[in-house]
Amino acid sequence: MNIDEIFDYTSFTIDREPHIVLDPQVCMGCDNRGCTNSCPARCYTWSEEEQKMTFVHDGCLECGTCYIVCHRNAFTRWRYPRGGFGVAYRMT
Amino acid sequence: MSSAYDAIVVGAGPAGSSAALTMARAGLKVALVERGTFPGEKNMFGGVLHRLPSLEEVFPDFWERAPLERHIVKKGVTFMTGDSTFSTTIEAGNFDRPPYNGYTIFRPRFDRWLADEAVAAGATLITRATVDDLVIRNGRVAGVTILDRRGELTAPVVVAADGVLSFTAKKAGLRQPTFDPGQMAVGIKALLDMPRELIDERFGLVRDQGFANEFVGCTGGVRGGAFLYTNYDSLSIGLVFHLGSLRTSGKTPYDLLNAFMEQPQVDKMIRGGRLQEYSAHVIPEGGYSMIPELVGDGILVAGDAAALCNATGLNLEGINLASHSGVLAGQAVVAAHQAGDFSRNGLDVYRRLMDDSYVLKDLKLYRKAPHMLHNDRIYNEYPELVCGMMEYIYRIDGAPKENLSKLFLKTAKEKVGLKNLAADAFSAWRAL
Repeated sequence: MNIDEIFDYTSFTIDREPHIVLDPQVCMGCDNRGCTNSCPARCYTWSEEEQKMTFVHDGCLECGTCYIVCHRNAFTRWRYPRGGFGVAYRMT
Repeated sequence: MSSAYDAIVVGAGPAGSSAALTMARAGLKVALVERGTFPGEKNMFGGVLHRLPSLEEVFPDFWERAPLERHIVKKGVTFMTGDSTFSTTIEAGNFDRPPYNGYTIFRPRFDRWLADEAVAAGATLITRATVDDLVIRNGRVAGVTILDRRGELTAPVVVAADGVLSFTAKKAGLRQPTFDPGQMAVGIKALLDMPRELIDERFGLVRDQGFANEFVGCTGGVRGGAFLYTNYDSLSIGLVFHLGSLRTSGKTPYDLLNAFMEQPQVDKMIRGGRLQEYSAHVIPEGGYSMIPELVGDGILVAGDAAALCNATGLNLEGINLASHSGVLAGQAVVAAHQAGDFSRNGLDVYRRLMDDSYVLKDLKLYRKAPHMLHNDRIYNEYPELVCGMMEYIYRIDGAPKENLSKLFLKTAKEKVGLKNLAADAFSAWRAL
């Protein structure tokens, strides 16, 4: 099974407005960045070159992992998407 | 959108819908608020639905009406190391006779149905509604506001059934402001389509029989395990990781899932399956010590929001505990309405009902299990030890045999150390 495809099988109604927002300064100073490997939807990417954390909310499974593993509380916003938006499971 | 209710339930999962159903049946005007486009849309689990004594009471034909998949007759545990596995299975005649011990289910179907039953009993279901904040009046919870909607929903009491992160309980000051990753796990799951006949044949099942298997030693050294469950015509396969361990491992959940699905013995079980859906969710695994304050002024906490999850390593209970707590919360609200007292004192009957129920009794009994499971040897050395011993026992190649107990001690000494073995055995004995 090709793991790259696994993310394509889940349905989403994508909101323009992200439900999670990071303070890039906090991520820059983080010595752990456990979010990058722990997020089951690989929403977090750290660029060594740009010294920058990128979060893409499109594929977020709203599982809560980043909220737990971020020990620096880098979130200026962490809430669930507005009603009707976000992940939409059909049969799991 | 300002409306007044007798009670507001945040979250239409098993806890919330059970609470709403209980209150609506008692004649209360209940709002059941759900952020999905339908209840269950946001929910996943990697588990089995067990008996629901409290719901069965308010709902005698529950099992005839609920949308279920297979009933579990066969349960297995597999120790895995590299390309070797050692498995034990129990298949009991009693598991194949009603009342069945457990079912596989699909959450988007089951949760939706349960919420519909609450609606049929008179509750008002409000979907696409993400609760934004609590309405506080005179120091008491008095309602909720909805993200991006004007006005407020008011009621003398709110039931927080909004899941593991419960921002509702947080805003009421009932749960800790931050979580300890050591008390949390994340489950990920792939749903694989497979023809029903193939599942029956492959796992030795007939009629609506189902198979549930847990695996240990398959998480790349991260504390955790795996599961495989049969639905009618699909398999649920996934992994669970302790977040404290995953965070520092540098490994990713999906790569570990991929490796697990490619392991030769697992590959044989899932071959022919077609990927349908991928899902993930955090699980509160801290046990008894993690449970927040269950009652505040004008508010009760139920289900995952109250960390009601019993993970002993062998059984995983959650939905049954959620549903039970929901029913008890509903009963407490009904009693509070009769007494006209929604203060912490007036609602405290919920805490007492919970203390007397199997939910808190079991969590208290197994309160040491979470600590016991924080032991890397369970996930690495022991599966290796078990598989290695069994392989040795069954290998017949003309080499002279060793005395088995001596060999066990020798291997155990090499792999885990005798002191550790004794300590772990003692810890497991005390925890379970």
